[in-house]
Amino acid sequence: MVDFRHKNTKKRAKIFYGLAILFLLFLPFLIPYKALGSQILIFMLFAMGYDICLGYAGMLSFGHAAFFGMGAYTTGLLILHYHTNILLAIFAGILFSVLLAFPIGYTAIRRRGIYFAMVTLAYAQMFYFIAFKWTALTGGDDGLQGIPRPDFFGISLQSETSVYYFILGFLLIAILFAFRVVHSPFGHALVSIRESEQRAQSIGFNPARFKLIAFVISAGLCGLAGSLYCILQNFVPLQTLHWSISGDIVMMTILGGMGTLVGPLFGGMFVVLFREVLSTYTHLWALIMGISFIVIVLVFRKGVIGELKKRAVI
Amino acid sequence: MKPRGGPCRRALPKLAVRPDGSPMNTTTIIMMLFNGLVLGSYLVLLSLGLSIIFGMLGVVNFAQGALYMLGAYAGYTCLHFGLNFWVALLVAPLAVAFIASLSERFLIRFLYKEADIYVVLLTFGLMLVFEEVIRLIFGDLGRPIAIPHMLSGALNLGFMYYPKYRLFIIGVTAVCALGTWLILTRTKLGSVIRAGTDDSEMVDALGIHISKIYTGVFAFGAGLAGLAGILAGPLQEVTPLMGNEILIQIFVVVVIGGLGSIAGSIVAGLLVGEVITLGVLFWPPAAMTSIYVFMAIILLVRPRGFFGRVGFHE
Amino acid sequence: MGNQEETKDTGAMKAQNGEKGILGEKKPSIITRRDFIKTAAITGVVTAVAPHIWIKPAWASDHLKIGVMIDMSKAYAFLNKQDLLGIKLAVEDAGGKALGKPIEVIARDHRLDPGIANEKAKELYEKEKVDVIIDVPQSACSLAVNEQSRRYKRLFISVDSGTTEQTGDKCNYYGFDWGYDNYMLATAGGLWAAEHLGKKWYAITADYAWGHDLLKNFRAAVEKKGGQIIGNDMVALGTSDFSPYMIKALNSGADVLVLLNAGADTVNSTKAANEFGLKKKMAILHALMFTSNIHATGVDVYQGDYATVSWYWKSENPGAKSYVEQFKKANKGAPPHWLTAANYSATLQFIKAVQRANSKDPDKIIEQLEGHEFRDMFANPGYIYKENHQAINDALIVRCKSQKEITEPWDYFEIVGKVPAREAYQTPEQSGCKMERPA
Repeated sequence: MVDFRHKNTKKRAKIFYGLAILFLLFLPFLIPYKALGSQILIFMLFAMGYDICLGYAGMLSFGHAAFFGMGAYTTGLLILHYHTNILLAIFAGILFSVLLAFPIGYTAIRRRGIYFAMVTLAYAQMFYFIAFKWTALTGGDDGLQGIPRPDFFGISLQSETSVYYFILGFLLIAILFAFRVVHSPFGHALVSIRESEQRAQSIGFNPARFKLIAFVISAGLCGLAGSLYCILQNFVPLQTLHWSISGDIVMMTILGGMGTLVGPLFGGMFVVLFREVLSTYTHLWALIMGISFIVIVLVFRKGVIGELKKRAVI
Repeated sequence: MKPRGGPCRRALPKLAVRPDGSPMNTTTIIMMLFNGLVLGSYLVLLSLGLSIIFGMLGVVNFAQGALYMLGAYAGYTCLHFGLNFWVALLVAPLAVAFIASLSERFLIRFLYKEADIYVVLLTFGLMLVFEEVIRLIFGDLGRPIAIPHMLSGALNLGFMYYPKYRLFIIGVTAVCALGTWLILTRTKLGSVIRAGTDDSEMVDALGIHISKIYTGVFAFGAGLAGLAGILAGPLQEVTPLMGNEILIQIFVVVVIGGLGSIAGSIVAGLLVGEVITLGVLFWPPAAMTSIYVFMAIILLVRPRGFFGRVGFHE
Repeated sequence: MGNQEETKDTGAMKAQNGEKGILGEKKPSIITRRDFIKTAAITGVVTAVAPHIWIKPAWASDHLKIGVMIDMSKAYAFLNKQDLLGIKLAVEDAGGKALGKPIEVIARDHRLDPGIANEKAKELYEKEKVDVIIDVPQSACSLAVNEQSRRYKRLFISVDSGTTEQTGDKCNYYGFDWGYDNYMLATAGGLWAAEHLGKKWYAITADYAWGHDLLKNFRAAVEKKGGQIIGNDMVALGTSDFSPYMIKALNSGADVLVLLNAGADTVNSTKAANEFGLKKKMAILHALMFTSNIHATGVDVYQGDYATVSWYWKSENPGAKSYVEQFKKANKGAPPHWLTAANYSATLQFIKAVQRANSKDPDKIIEQLEGHEFRDMFANPGYIYKENHQAINDALIVRCKSQKEITEPWDYFEIVGKVPAREAYQTPEQSGCKMERPA
C-alpha cells in the first residue's frame, strides 16, 4: 500500500520509532529496577494485542484478562509440573488462549457493539471464578506459586537483565507480526468492516468471520503476554484473570491511541511507569488515573499517538 | 431432627436431603425463594435503570454499579447527619440522580455524536472516579446502615416468619417497577421517551427538547440504582467496591432479558436472583457459574434476549 | 465506529503551512525537522534522567533499611496503616539508630495484589537494598515476597498473613513468621471454646484456601476436646445474604457457631446471625477479629461474640501501657490492634538482633533470632523456633463487650481465656518445614 503521508512526516516517524527502539534496548539501565522494565514490555505487548480487537476490529472487549490469565496459567502449569521447554510452554500458552477465544468470540460476536463488552466481561468473570474454585489446579486465591525459570537453550534467564531481553525479543517479533497482519489485505478488510459493516458486507466480506479471526489473533498475542508474565514473576496470581486487568488494558490502549498499534505500545509503557512512580508518592494516584482517562476520552479521543498522527507529527 | 428455637416453625415433612446430608424442609425452600426475590429486587432496579438508559440514550452505563454504591453511601451520610431512614430513602436516590445528571450534562453529552464505545468508556471512567472519591472520603472500611426500627424483626406470614425489612425491599421494588412501567406506557412523557428510543431526531424535530429528556432519563436510571443501593445498605457491608460484583450480575440479567426491555429486566432480574440464591442452596460451587452458562445459552439460542427487539440499537 | 485514520491525499500535500485544504478545512502547520529532532532529543534525555531524579537513588546502604509492604489502598488499608505506625514506633523505641547510623523505613503499597507484591519485593530488595521486609498481609502476597526473599537471600518477616505454608512447605531460611498463623487461630479458639462454650459446632466457611485451612484446623482442635463439627457450609466470598446458612445453623442444634471468614463476609454473616436471633441459642466464635472491625460496624452487631487474638491493648506486658499511650497520641486517640503490636514486636526484635550481631549480614542476624527467647510488650515471653522460624506467643481468647459493659472508648474486648504458646502453635515437626540452610 502506498503511504500517502508527507515525506517530512515519514522522516519524523522514522526518527521517533528509531529512538523508541533505542530506548527499549537500554531501558533496563534507565529505570529504578530491572523487573519493572520487563513488566513494561509485557503490558506493551498486552495492550498492542488488545488493539487488534478494539482499534482494528472495533470490538470493545472487557474480557481479555481471560486470555492473559489463560496464557499465564498454561505456561506456569507446564513448567511447574512437567518442566517443559520454555519455548514449548510459551507456545502452549498462546495456543490455549487462541483455543479459548473461539467459543467466547463465537457466542459474543453474535451480539454486536455494546452487548459485546458486557458479554466478554461476564465470560472473563466466569473464568476467574473457575480458577478461584479449582484450587488443586490453579492454587486458587494463592495463585500458582514457585514456578522456576527454565533456561533458554542453555542461556540462563535467572538474572532480571537476561529475562528482560528475552521478553524484548518476543515483543519485537510480536510487533512485526501485528504490523504484517494489520497492513495485509486481511487488515484492510477489517478496517473497512469496522467503518461500516453493511458496506463491507455488500462487497462480499463476512464480517462475523473477520471479526472472529481478529479476536482470536488478539487473544493469542495477549496469551503470549500472559505466558511471559508467568516467566517473569515466577508465579501466576489469580489477579491475572480479574476484570480490573481488562479495564487497565482498555485504559492503556485508549490513552496511547487505539487503532494505531504504536499507541497502545506507548500507552502500556506510560501507564505502568506512571503508576509505579505515582504510587510511591501519593495515594491519590488511582484518582489521577481515572480523571486522566475521562479527560482523554472526552478531549483527546485519539490518544497520544493518535493525536500526534492526526496532526501529521509522526 | 426437631427444629429448635428461632422463629416458630411447625414440623414439616422433609422434602429432600441436601448434598451435605442435612434435611431440607418446605419452610427453608420458601424462605430461600423469598431471599431470591430480595436479590432479584436489587437486580431488577439496577437493570431496569440500565435498560432505560440504554433504550433512550444507547449508552451501556458501566457506572451503574458505582451509582448503586453511591446510593448506599448517600444513605449512610444522611443517617450520619441525623436524618431518619425514611428521609434518607428519598434523599439518597435523588442525590445519586443529581450526580448522574451533572455527569450527563457536562461530560457524557459531548460524546453522543461520537462512536458508541466512547460513551461506554466514559461511564467506565466515571465508575473508577466515583469509587476512588468515595474511598478517599470514607476510607475502605465498611460503613454501617441500621435497619429502621419499624422494619426490624420478622412478620408472621402464617406458614413462616420472614424479616420485615426484606419484605419491604420486595414491596418497594414492585411499586417502582410498576410505576416505571405505567409512566412509560401511560403518560405523555413516557410516549416521548419511547419515541426517542426509536428515533431521537424525529422527536427533536417535533420541537421537544430531547436533551433535557436525555438528562432526565439518565438521572432516573441512576436514581433507581441509588435506590437499590440504600435498600441494600442495611443488609450488607457498604464499601467502595460493593458495586463491582453486582455490575457483572446485571450485565448477565440484561443479556438474558434483552437490553432496553422493561419486561425483560424485571423477569430476568428475578430469575437470576432466584437462580443464584437457590443455586447456593442446592449446589454451591455452581451457583455463580450457572448464570454465566445460562447467559451463554441465551446468546446462542436467542441472542437478543427473551424480550429484546430485533434491530434494537444494534 | 466512526473514527478514521486520517491520511493525506495529494490535494492536502499542496495545502501545507496553514493553508486551507480542498474543502476549506484548515491544515496543521508544518513542524520543521530541526524542531522535531530537538524535541526528541530533549525527550530522550529527560526520560533517561528523570527516573533518577524522581525516584531517589538508593543510598549506598551502609545504614539499616526496613522495608514495609502493606495494603494502603484496598480492603485492608484501614488495618495496615496502623501497622506502619507501629513499625515506626518500634524504630523510635529502639533508639532510631543501629550500628551507629539512623534506621530508614520505606513503605510500599501492594494493593492486595500478589503480582504487585512480587514486583515491589524485587524493587525493595534490588533497588532500595532493604535489609528486611516486614508485614505483607494476605497470604498469596506474602508467599510471593517469601520467594523473592529466598532468591535475593534477604530477610523477610511475615506478620499479617496467616498462611501456615510460610513455616511449612514454603519455609525459607531467610523468612520468619510472627504474630499468628491460621493454625494458632483455629487451635487456640477451638481448644478453648470446645471446653468452655460447647461440644456441638456449626461452621460457616469462606470458600477458599484460607477458609478451608481454618476449618481443617478447627475440626482437629474441637475433636481433641471431645467435640464435633456437626455441620458446615462453604460460602462464596463476597456473599451478602447469609440467611440460608443461619437457618440451617439454627436447625442444627449446635452450641457454637464458628464464622470462618473475614472482612465484609464477617460483617454480613454476623448481621444475619443477629437478624435471625441466633445469639439467643448459640455462642458465636470468629476466626479473625480486630477492634477496628467493631468500631466500624458497631458494638451491637458483635456483642457477646468470641475471637482469638495475640494481644489486646489493655495488656499488662512490660512496656505495653506506654506503647499504647504513645500510639494513641499518634493515631487520634485510637489504640493499636493486635497485629500492629505484632509488627512492633517483629521490628523491635529484628533491630535488637542486628545490634547483638553487630552486623547487617543476614546470616548473622538469623543466628541471633533463631532459638531466641524475648520479652516485649507484645509477647511475654515470645520464642522463635530454629527449625521453622516461627515466632510463638500466647494466644488470648476475647469476648466482645456489650454497650453497657464498655467503660472507655475502644475497650471492646474482655479477655476470657489464654492458650499457652506451645499448645497454640504447631511444633516444628508438625509444620513440616524442611529448611534449606546455606552450607
